Amino acid sequence: MSLKRVFKAQWLLATVMLLGLLVSACTTSSTPSTTNSNTPGTNTGGGPAFPTSPLALRTPSFGQQEAPTVKVLSSADPTVIVQFTLTPASIKALFPNATALVTVIEGNPAVSDFDTVIVDAQNMPPNQKFTVFFTELSAKPFGHAEYVGDVITRGDGSAESIFHLIALGAFAADNRAPTVTSTDQTGEASGIQLEHVGMWFDGVRAARQVLNNPNIPGTPFDGGAGALHAGPQAMTDGQTQPVI
Amino acid sequence: MQFVRRIISKCAIPLATLLLILSMQAGMASAATKAATTLQSAAKSLSQANDINASAAFLRQLQRAGKLASSVHVLSSLGQTTIVQFALVPSGIKQAFPNATGLVTIVRGDRNNAFSDTTIVDVQHMPPNITFTIFYIELANKPFGNVEYVADLTTRGDGSGETIFQNIAFVAFAMDARNPGTSTDGQEGITSGINLEHMGMWFSSLQAAQKVLNNPSLQGTLFDAGNPPLHAGPQAMTDGQTLPVF
Amino acid sequence: MIRITISKRIAFLSVLLLAMAIAGTVFAQTIGASSSIDAGRQIRNQSFQPETLREMVQRHQLASTVQVLASQPPSVVIQFPLFPSGVKKAFPQATGVVTIVQGNPAVSLFDSVTVDVSHMPPDITFTIFFIELANKPFGHVEYIADLHTRDDGSGESSFQAITLVAFAADNRTPTITSQDQSGAASGIQLEHLGMWFSSLQDAQKALGDTTLKGTLFDGGNPPLHAGPQAMTDGQTDPVF
Repeated sequence: MSLKRVFKAQWLLATVMLLGLLVSACTTSSTPSTTNSNTPGTNTGGGPAFPTSPLALRTPSFGQQEAPTVKVLSSADPTVIVQFTLTPASIKALFPNATALVTVIEGNPAVSDFDTVIVDAQNMPPNQKFTVFFTELSAKPFGHAEYVGDVITRGDGSAESIFHLIALGAFAADNRAPTVTSTDQTGEASGIQLEHVGMWFDGVRAARQVLNNPNIPGTPFDGGAGALHAGPQAMTDGQTQPVI
Repeated sequence: MQFVRRIISKCAIPLATLLLILSMQAGMASAATKAATTLQSAAKSLSQANDINASAAFLRQLQRAGKLASSVHVLSSLGQTTIVQFALVPSGIKQAFPNATGLVTIVRGDRNNAFSDTTIVDVQHMPPNITFTIFYIELANKPFGNVEYVADLTTRGDGSGETIFQNIAFVAFAMDARNPGTSTDGQEGITSGINLEHMGMWFSSLQAAQKVLNNPSLQGTLFDAGNPPLHAGPQAMTDGQTLPVF
Repeated sequence: MIRITISKRIAFLSVLLLAMAIAGTVFAQTIGASSSIDAGRQIRNQSFQPETLREMVQRHQLASTVQVLASQPPSVVIQFPLFPSGVKKAFPQATGVVTIVQGNPAVSLFDSVTVDVSHMPPDITFTIFFIELANKPFGHVEYIADLHTRDDGSGESSFQAITLVAFAADNRTPTITSQDQSGAASGIQLEHLGMWFSSLQDAQKALGDTTLKGTLFDGGNPPLHAGPQAMTDGQTDPVF
């Protein structure tokens, strides 16, 4: 008799469990989308014919002394597109494969209100914020500097930031001494040209942790509260000659 | 065989119970996650609706303390965002274009996630079909101090114009890293470098300025990039404040 | 009696096994769903690589006017021209160049687009649309940005938007698909670009034609207040 009850209970339990699983299957499983393609036919509408030949590409001149790492792309007139790489500086020992590509686009130099700057990084310290600066010199002591923006790496160490600002003509100046000049890609120009790009740890504490070195001193390469709260340079264009 | 049957019969109920609990937990966890996400979104919306934007409140406090210009409007934006607006007024063009106006809007998203600020400069009644340069500057008035060239703005035929650019604005600063120094940022306190907390617009071309303002004796300034030096014109628009505007 | 007990036991164990099989299927499905999402993005990333795009131009899956630039990896940069359509008679020299940049397709949050024009009607605002078809009736459309020409007819607009995989869809019929460079994709692909007069009155004045009719190619009130198309990529094959 008790054995009958046991089996009845087991059946009941099994049935309830099965029902529970079926219900949870209905709520958790994603319904695969039914492909019912309804591709519209291409209809040119019998409109006027237009040329089908590709744009002629040319390589615009870009200053006389740019660094050998700078690639001036062959592009359609009137655009100017340059690219160059950043290489690891302080992070080199721990992140030897860190790379970054900087792309600078000037649609039409005669008309552009600003340049588009795209910074793409890979294999960098993950989940970290870095600052991007235009600098006078690529290496210490870096000279005059301009804070451009930030780059925040993802969990896999990759990142991308896009800025709209003056890049190819960036310069630093103190108007109390307006006659200071330096040489630009176009020739002599006002101010101190900022023709290099670098990335810094935005926080020295983060840098000490990532680089496992509690003695790293702070640097000025971040804005905001607290002087010298930024970390060391992480990436550099590493060139003597200008890159922008 | 009987022993095996006893084992099976004794284990079946606990095993079935365990499987039942696990399957229900899986279903409940999934439902709970969805419910939690829904609740989180609802809570976030509610908190945003009732939110007193801490950064906006802080900026208004700075205004009351005389550390941010009273001409700055700190908008009541939703939490995590900061939006300020301030006017530009005619300086070098005041006599010829007295109705010239400008509005600057600076937006910062979440301070922890944003990679730049977005700045929008809108102008009206300015000299038409002229390119002006936009600079962040240390001082609103001459000698202007340290400067940073950020963008251009070209006015249309009716003297209106707009430009939008993305870079660091709220904590913009100038420095020579050989000797960076420190200064006081209106909002941040002591910071590295020289804080740039004003904005102005200059004629990008001296010749254009001389023509527009009908004054051939105007002198060149450094307020444009490229060759030759001092080829820019005078300042056209200024925020005109002593206290910082951003 | 014993026979019945054995058959019930076997049936019960079968039910248990079935329950476990269902549980396994549910979890496998969940993992499989997320894997297919990742696979989709990977396919898309591979499709938008310079070499792949050049092959597509060869196979006429991309228009022959598209130039895939020799950019540094991992970036992708393409350019194509715009030709005068509605402004051709009055402004036959009008030209345009569209530049689309992806810094790193695997990482990009959006594309960067620059539209440069020359010799167009001066001091006029044009709208920029992504469209399904280069020519009339244009099909589905997406309003992207404006461009205002200077007094010399030149102009530039730079904006950031999803471009290479732009599509139109009505989620009431979510199963509609069309071919993208990466294969079948949801919605109707928008793979052409055009510019329209934002104002019918501007168009009538610039083109000296008061019989021009209004079009939908601008946002806001009232409906059909925009002018005719000014510039087109003019291709049958996709330009992006």
